[in-house]
Amino acid sequence: MSTVLQLKSITKTYGDMRALSGIDLALPGDAYISLLGPSGSGKTTLLRVIAGFEQPDGGAILFDGKRIDTVAPHKRGIGFVFQNFALFPHLSVAQNIAYGLENRDVDPVTDRRVVDARVRDIISLVGLSGLEGRAVTQISGGQRQRVALARTLVTEPRMVLLDEPLGALDANLRARMRAELRAIRERCGVTFLHVTGSEAEALAMGDTVLVLESGRIAQSADSDTVYNRPASPAVARFLNCYNLFQGRIEAGAFVGGAGRFALGASAPTRAATPAYAIRYDRVSVRPRDAAIGEDEIRIEANFVASEYSGAAVNSFFALDDGRVFEVESHLSHAAPETYAEQGRYALVWKREDALVYA
Amino acid sequence: MNASGIKTGLGAYTALFLVFLYGPLVVLAILSFQTGPEGGPQFPIIEWSTYWYKHLFGLTPPSRIAPLPIEQALVRSLGLAVMTMIVSTVLGVTAAQAFRRKFRGSGVVFYLIVLGMMVPGVLVGLGMALVANTLGIDRHWWSTAFVLHVVYTFPFAFLVMLAIFNRFDPSMEEASWSLGVTPARTFRKVTFPLIFPGVLSAMLFAFTLSYDEFSRTLFASGRDLTLPLAIYGTFSVEVHPNVFAFGVLTTLFSFALLGTYAALMMLSVRRAKRVAIQEEA
Repeated sequence: MSTVLQLKSITKTYGDMRALSGIDLALPGDAYISLLGPSGSGKTTLLRVIAGFEQPDGGAILFDGKRIDTVAPHKRGIGFVFQNFALFPHLSVAQNIAYGLENRDVDPVTDRRVVDARVRDIISLVGLSGLEGRAVTQISGGQRQRVALARTLVTEPRMVLLDEPLGALDANLRARMRAELRAIRERCGVTFLHVTGSEAEALAMGDTVLVLESGRIAQSADSDTVYNRPASPAVARFLNCYNLFQGRIEAGAFVGGAGRFALGASAPTRAATPAYAIRYDRVSVRPRDAAIGEDEIRIEANFVASEYSGAAVNSFFALDDGRVFEVESHLSHAAPETYAEQGRYALVWKREDALVYA
Repeated sequence: MNASGIKTGLGAYTALFLVFLYGPLVVLAILSFQTGPEGGPQFPIIEWSTYWYKHLFGLTPPSRIAPLPIEQALVRSLGLAVMTMIVSTVLGVTAAQAFRRKFRGSGVVFYLIVLGMMVPGVLVGLGMALVANTLGIDRHWWSTAFVLHVVYTFPFAFLVMLAIFNRFDPSMEEASWSLGVTPARTFRKVTFPLIFPGVLSAMLFAFTLSYDEFSRTLFASGRDLTLPLAIYGTFSVEVHPNVFAFGVLTTLFSFALLGTYAALMMLSVRRAKRVAIQEEA
C-alpha cells in the first residue's frame, strides 16, 4: 500500500506548552486510521496542522510525495469533518453539498447538471435522499453528520480528517454511524484519519490505531495489538482496561506497593518506567481461604462496590495502600456473584497474563 | 415597601420617562397643525390646518414668511449620510475582521478607533477647521465634514461588527477552505451572508448618527449647510410652525427607515427562530 501522508518530526508549541513534540508518521492510502488520545494529548492540534489551519513550528508534511506544510489550506486537497459539523446555516442540504464543487479554486464545476448529478450520487451514498431541499437546521444530528461527510466526499479528496465526528451524537446513533462511516469509506476508497478520545471507538473503527500521548505517537498498530499488547504503561492506562502497578524488577519478580509478583516466562517490554499491568477481565475473585495454583499470583483487597453493565459486572476493590483495583467478570461465563460490603477477598491471576514493562 | 408598591412606583417612573421622551415630539406635532400664516409657534391652536405643510412645499400663496431654506440642506445631509454609511460600514467590517486575530498593538489600535466617538464633537470640529485653515484646504460638507462624520460613526460600526464576529463560528470558514475555496471567496459566500444582519445594524447606526450630526459639522462644513445646521439657522431669525411641520416629516422618514430595518431583521430572526424550534424537537 502506498503512503499518502507522511509527517516528519512535526513540532508545535503554544507559549510554554508543547502540543506536538516530534510526530513521525506515515499513513497508507485507502485505509481507516483512528487516532486515539486523551484530551490534551494534542490530537486536534495534529489534525489542524495537517489540514493547514495551524502552522507547525518544525518538521515536514508530505502529501502524495509533495511538501505541503507551507501550502494554504484550500490548496491542500485534504477534507476536514468538524466535530460540530460546521455546516453553512444559510444553505440547504443540497447547496451545502454542492458548495465545494461550485466554489473551489481549482477545477470548479460550472455545469449545473454535472453538479446536480454528483450531489445526487453522494446524497444516495450517505443515505440522505429526500432531504435535499431541507435547511441544514431542520435535520437531526445524525443527518447533519452525513451532510458534513457528503460535503467533503463530493469534492473527492485523497484524504479526509475527522475530528471527533461522532462526539456530538447520542450513544445509539454513534454505534450506528461507526459502521456507516466504515462502509462509506470503503466505497469511496479514500483514507480516513479519525480522531477520537474514546478507546472503544478507536479500536472498533481503525484498520490502524495510532495512540497519541503527550504530543508523541506512543503506539501505531492494529486494534488487537494495541488492546492486548499496549506499547507503554501510558497506553495501557489510557485503554482503561488494565490495573497498573508502579515498582521495580528484582530477581525475577516485580516488587511494588501491592507486593511481590513473580514474573512469567515472557520478557518484559521496554518502557521508560517499570510497570506491571493486568487486564480487568483476567482477574478472578476468590474467598480468602481458597487455594491458588502454582502459576498464579494472589493479592488481598476489600470489596468496595460493583457496577452492572449488562454483559459484564465491574467490581471495585480497595488495596491496602488505598488504590482501587478493578475486576471485570463476563456474565456469559457465570452468574453475577455478590460480594460482602467491605469483605476481604483474594484477587488471583495467572503470571503469564500480566504485562511487564521495564 | 411591598411588591405592588414597587410595581406602581416603577410603572409611574416608566410613564414619566415616556412623557419626557415623547412629550416634545407630541407638542411639536400638535403645533405643526397651527393655522397660517398668522398663527405662531405657541398654544393655543387658533384653528387646525395643514397650512404649514403646504408652505413647506411652496403650495401656499406668497406671504411675509419666507420658505424654509432647507431643500439644498436636505439633499446634502442625505448625501453625506449615505456616503458616511457606506465608508464607515466598510471600514467597520474590515477592521472588525482584522481584530478577529490578535496582532501586535491591537490594544492601542482598538482605543484609537473608539476614541473617535468619545472625544467632544465641538472640539474635533474646531480642530478640523483650524487644520483646514492652516493647510489651506477649503471646508466643505463633502470633504472636511465627511471625514469627521466617518471618524465619528466608524467606531459604532466597528463595535457592532466586533460583537457579531465574537459569536461567529470560525470553523465554518475553515470548512470552506478545506473544500478548496479561496479565503476571499469564502468571505463572500459564507462569512458575509452570515454577518449580514450585523452589517445592516452598522449601516443604520452610521446613517442616523451622520444624518443629525451637529457639533462636528458646525465648524467643519464651511459655507454650505447640512440639514441640522440649516434648521438651527432658521431659529435665529424667527420660529414659525413650518419648522415643526418639517420635524414631523423627518421623524416619519426616520420611522420608515427603522421600519425597513425591522422588517429585514425580522426575516432573519424568524429564520433563526425556526432553527431553534427544530433544534428542540
